[in-house]
Amino acid sequence: MPASSYMGITTTVPVEIVYAAGYQPVDLNNVFITSASAQSWIEQAQKAGFPRNTCNWIKGLYSARQAIACPRVIAVTAGDCSNTHALMEIWQEDQVTTYPFAYPFPPNRQRLEQELQQLAHSLGTTLEAAQQQKQRLDTIRARAWEVDRLTWQTNQVSGEENHLYLVNTSDFNSQPDTYAAEADTFLHQAKQRKPFQDKVRLAFIGVPPIITDLYPVLEDWQARVVYNETQHQFSMPAATDDLVEQYLSYTYPYGIHQRLAAIEEALSQRQIDGVIHYVQAFCFRQIEDVIVRRRLPVPVLTLEGDEPGPMDARTRLRLESFVEMLQEKQC
Amino acid sequence: MLALGMDLGSRRVKMAALTTAGLAWQRAWDTLSFYKSYGSLSQDGLHLDFTALDLPLDQPASSYPLVVTGYGRNTLNLVGAQVISELKAHLWGIRWQLGLSDFTLLDLGGQDTKVIQARQGRLDDFQMNDKCAAASGRYLENMAAVLELSLEELSRHWQNPVALNATCGIFGESELISRILEGHAVSALAAGINASLVARLHPLLSGFPLDPLIISGGVAHNQAFCKLLSRELGLTPVIPERPQLNGAIGCAYLALQTQEEHSHAHKS
Repeated sequence: MPASSYMGITTTVPVEIVYAAGYQPVDLNNVFITSASAQSWIEQAQKAGFPRNTCNWIKGLYSARQAIACPRVIAVTAGDCSNTHALMEIWQEDQVTTYPFAYPFPPNRQRLEQELQQLAHSLGTTLEAAQQQKQRLDTIRARAWEVDRLTWQTNQVSGEENHLYLVNTSDFNSQPDTYAAEADTFLHQAKQRKPFQDKVRLAFIGVPPIITDLYPVLEDWQARVVYNETQHQFSMPAATDDLVEQYLSYTYPYGIHQRLAAIEEALSQRQIDGVIHYVQAFCFRQIEDVIVRRRLPVPVLTLEGDEPGPMDARTRLRLESFVEMLQEKQC
Repeated sequence: MLALGMDLGSRRVKMAALTTAGLAWQRAWDTLSFYKSYGSLSQDGLHLDFTALDLPLDQPASSYPLVVTGYGRNTLNLVGAQVISELKAHLWGIRWQLGLSDFTLLDLGGQDTKVIQARQGRLDDFQMNDKCAAASGRYLENMAAVLELSLEELSRHWQNPVALNATCGIFGESELISRILEGHAVSALAAGINASLVARLHPLLSGFPLDPLIISGGVAHNQAFCKLLSRELGLTPVIPERPQLNGAIGCAYLALQTQEEHSHAHKS
């Protein structure tokens, strides 16, 4: 895949517009976290002047773009985080072509439509062309929804598999047809499996984890994540034929209250015993934890992540104690 | 019947031996020298040389029921040892030491601070400090070292505390140095350190019933801290007789209980 066709993205964006314009979207978060060099990329960004006490995802995005020589990026400047705003300014300094995209707050259909039109215009395409891409991508998203259903309803899919299939719907690994074929093979195989015998059913809410072995460690203790909130949102679970409506129903960019409505519904539908609220060190979302704890009807563990890699002893202690507590509550 | 409990803490390794009659003996080692002297790493994990520990036992250590908790527990390969979380260990420790089953426990360890809520003898809720260890015993140690005070001396001062507000423990040291240079009395600086730990911990306790509030861990020996916390919260915390040994006692108590259940099962 030639780098000349890459369109870097900093979080989930209306990817239909990117495909309609003939670019290959590349979610820089996924490039960062799946790289064997993730740790050294953080150091690389720090050498370039990024403060140590800043979100490591931002540093990872900076170095990931450099590593794959991605010439242009859509930077989400509202609805994700203000650090991305500053990251975009650094890229502009570095002669990277940047396309700012802002989810309106509060959510507003007219303003969102203008944003979509503006993005389509900047990339040399139209919303009509994007709408056609939506029809194509929705048939592929249906596979991700099925992976999700097999996670919580038939209990045949692990928390990590759920995470990977859903998180990859932000860019469909730059190759939607390949994603679809792989998902078909996976679904066929997963449907033959015996269901997991869990003692504890968990929800994982917040940004995707920077910790690489979270799900298998939990499953060792017979605690399985059956709901990955943000990843689930990436798959655009609210079925609609309308492109604008789709990105209006997408809860992640519109604040904690809109997110909580979807989370509460999932907690009851999926019979969840406890919630892991993952927050990245130095992220503004740590403040929202106050509201999460106040509102959710099940026990919440707030888990702070910082560096990429396997979990450290202190994180393990917190998770293990949480699972143990949830198990005791069931006795 | 004798049962053993071991708490592998970040600063101290503690052991307790219980019988149905009470605490038979206790031991404690500095963590670093303990691992250096008695630990060895092999392919299947960390091994401990129990013979070299020279414990007051009639038979080899492996013939007694043993429950372990603490940081090293996941890497520790002890044949026959049951491994439990620190929260559970502390909860059982208070059950044995104070005979309570409903309480809020504030455990101030070397690196981690835990608030544990027990209801009907079970773990009902908990909160822990964030990644940063700036609200733990390590913070007090570092700050005392800057003032060239022992922890015992530090724990005497609670009056006229100097304001120390830095979020980070390292910045806290710089802040303390600037307060020293301003000419404040050592007693006021020491009181300021104790008061700053109270301020850091207070948010962790919000939402817990604190009825009663029990303090365990090494920091419970710091009388000035306990006095300042008491004043801040408007209640008198309960300190068990052996706050630092609480986790090891909890382990030994669980080992004893499990052993008794086994022998009852065999008899019936």
